[in-house]
Amino acid sequence: MEIIIEEISRGHKLLSRHKLDQSRVSIGRGYQNDIILTDPHVCAKHLNLEFNGESWLAHDEDTVNGSYLEKNKQSVNQHTINSGDIISLGKSQIRILFPDHPVEESLAFSPFESLINFMRHPAMLLTSISLFSLVAGIVFYLNKPVEVTFTQLLVPAIGMTLLFALWPLLIALISHLTKNDARVWNQLGVCFAFFNLMWLSDVIESILDFNLSANWPIAGLITLLPIALAFVLFWLNCYIGFHMTAGRRLAIAASLTTLLFGGSYLIQLSNKPDFSIHPQYNATIMTPGFLFSPSSDVDSFIDDSRRLFGKAQKAAAEK
Amino acid sequence: MKGFIALILICLSINTYAAEQAEQIFKKLAPSLFQIRLIDNASGEKSSIGSGFQINGQGLIATNYHVISGFARHPNKYRIEYLDHLGNKGALTLKRVDVVNDLALVKREAGVNMPFFRLAEGVPHKGEELFSLGNPHDLGMIVVPGTYNGLKKESFNDKIHFTGSVNSGMSGGPVVNQNAEVVGINVATSGNQIGFLVPHDKLVALYQAFQTTDDISIAEQISQQLSKNQQKLIDTMLSSEWQSKQLGQGLIPAVDVPFVRCWGDSNADKSDALILTAVAHCALDENTYISSKFFTGNLEMEFRYMQAKELNASKFYHLYEQQIRRAGPGNKATKDDVSEYQCHHDIVSPTDRDINSKTVFCTRAYKQYPQLFDVLYLSASIDKNQQALISHFTIAGVEESSALAFTRKFMESVSWK
Repeated sequence: MEIIIEEISRGHKLLSRHKLDQSRVSIGRGYQNDIILTDPHVCAKHLNLEFNGESWLAHDEDTVNGSYLEKNKQSVNQHTINSGDIISLGKSQIRILFPDHPVEESLAFSPFESLINFMRHPAMLLTSISLFSLVAGIVFYLNKPVEVTFTQLLVPAIGMTLLFALWPLLIALISHLTKNDARVWNQLGVCFAFFNLMWLSDVIESILDFNLSANWPIAGLITLLPIALAFVLFWLNCYIGFHMTAGRRLAIAASLTTLLFGGSYLIQLSNKPDFSIHPQYNATIMTPGFLFSPSSDVDSFIDDSRRLFGKAQKAAAEK
Repeated sequence: MKGFIALILICLSINTYAAEQAEQIFKKLAPSLFQIRLIDNASGEKSSIGSGFQINGQGLIATNYHVISGFARHPNKYRIEYLDHLGNKGALTLKRVDVVNDLALVKREAGVNMPFFRLAEGVPHKGEELFSLGNPHDLGMIVVPGTYNGLKKESFNDKIHFTGSVNSGMSGGPVVNQNAEVVGINVATSGNQIGFLVPHDKLVALYQAFQTTDDISIAEQISQQLSKNQQKLIDTMLSSEWQSKQLGQGLIPAVDVPFVRCWGDSNADKSDALILTAVAHCALDENTYISSKFFTGNLEMEFRYMQAKELNASKFYHLYEQQIRRAGPGNKATKDDVSEYQCHHDIVSPTDRDINSKTVFCTRAYKQYPQLFDVLYLSASIDKNQQALISHFTIAGVEESSALAFTRKFMESVSWK
């Protein structure tokens, strides 16, 4: 009669799997056993499993620490074993399965899978990372009030790229440590593709801020774009790096997004004085090429400004 | 040589004559001269001091508004006391203020026909010797001789330029001529023997208003005075000639009024600068004191022309944007005085004007004086790749209609050449 014995960690991660075709299986720390455990809390002769023609029975060899069923902490002695039972021996755990144990349905490849593989393609990966470095270099160039040479830009651009590469590398490391496939190149490819999308969303936000007047408060909605991008990125990080249920993946991605944006929002909120003496206004300007909206005339600007006086009076009366 | 000695003797005799005169004046007027003290009720100690002088037989005393401003703003926190030349103390009640000219009238309970200062009928002539009285730094009443030097030219509200030492603590003290008639009130100093006085006719007007009009609250008086003064200022500016002046490739307004003075600067000497910048800054040379943390009545205009030197347009705009990010208020105020700023922005191009700008208008309301606002305007040209023109102004303590009329005039006066 075939029996499958899995050594598992306390988190129920598979450590090793044995398939045996015999009617008697011995488990213990001694080298004479069929399954040899290294846990010092396990006795040399610890547990015997025997097939009586109908079912498997467990027999504890009167050990120091005993053998217990995980689900109800009952001693396993003379227990009829069901497929899927988890037994604790010392500090180790084993799971016992029979060949007819049902398995979950096969997962179809997610449509993301091809996208993820496309992003990890060496050419694509190289493009993403170089694009990221290029944009980082341009940002440094634009912010420097003095003339800069190419080599002066190279250091911050590469430094920034390495800094941002830490995130995918960290995820890959965690995947590796939790006995998942690290998939470093996939993580790198996806992360840099999304970092580039974030740059793009910054540009879109600037263009809207530049073009739309204060009469279009809808421009504020564009700030949701980076939040959405971050959520998708975290979701993909989880998808690539870990085997987990869809619900759990959503929850983790949502928590990370909340932590990132909620955290920075909270920091802003706590740093904000309860009264600001400086006016908060939109001062975004871009080169004339980015201007798409028509200009207002003086009359309509004065009319719009007129409304502020009532608002200011209301604000003055409030506090 | 004889002539020389004679000259020295004449000078000496003039000096002794002046000293004697000062002594006489001081003796005669001392009973009508007071130290005005603002006493903090909680601690019982004085929080500020100034000088004051009686102007009628019923105990009405004139001083500076800034000496008693604490009481005018927080009547429950302070009380006002006087200290006379014999060391007697007594309570004072606040009757009238004139924040624009920094004057106040306080009253003490007095017996009939106390001696008092007479106010002069006419103005002094240039070079006339005057005597400033007051209690500098709490050192005791003194008399300081000095010279009348006419009215300060750049003042919107008249101030007498007095050559003589006016020190802190003398604020509110009278300045008299040789006939012991009040011609001005000590108010400020620029150091080095340059003092400023409020002309006596402002005090006459305040005294008349006190006698003829009904009592209104101090806040109401302040509100009316600020409104009226700022209205007068904006009206004067709008009815004056606005000439077009060149700043780089831009045209900016130059308003032909003496009380707005302009200063300029540029970085033309910095050969490594990526952007050539020229700035013209024009401002009213005075403001109105409401409290030590709240000033109003300012007006300033600033124009900035920028020209890229072989610079990529994107980088030029990026650096240009940093120039317009942090415009701030032109006057000091706290959250007890004003609301937060409310702002509007748009892309604006005045009809018939060759300029297209990102324009921002912000305003905040005064909490105690409901019809008054501070406004801030900022406009940055966005139609040239290598040149930029920023025009900016702030006005403090202005009514809505004046603010918008000024804004319109200002917007229509800026363009490219």
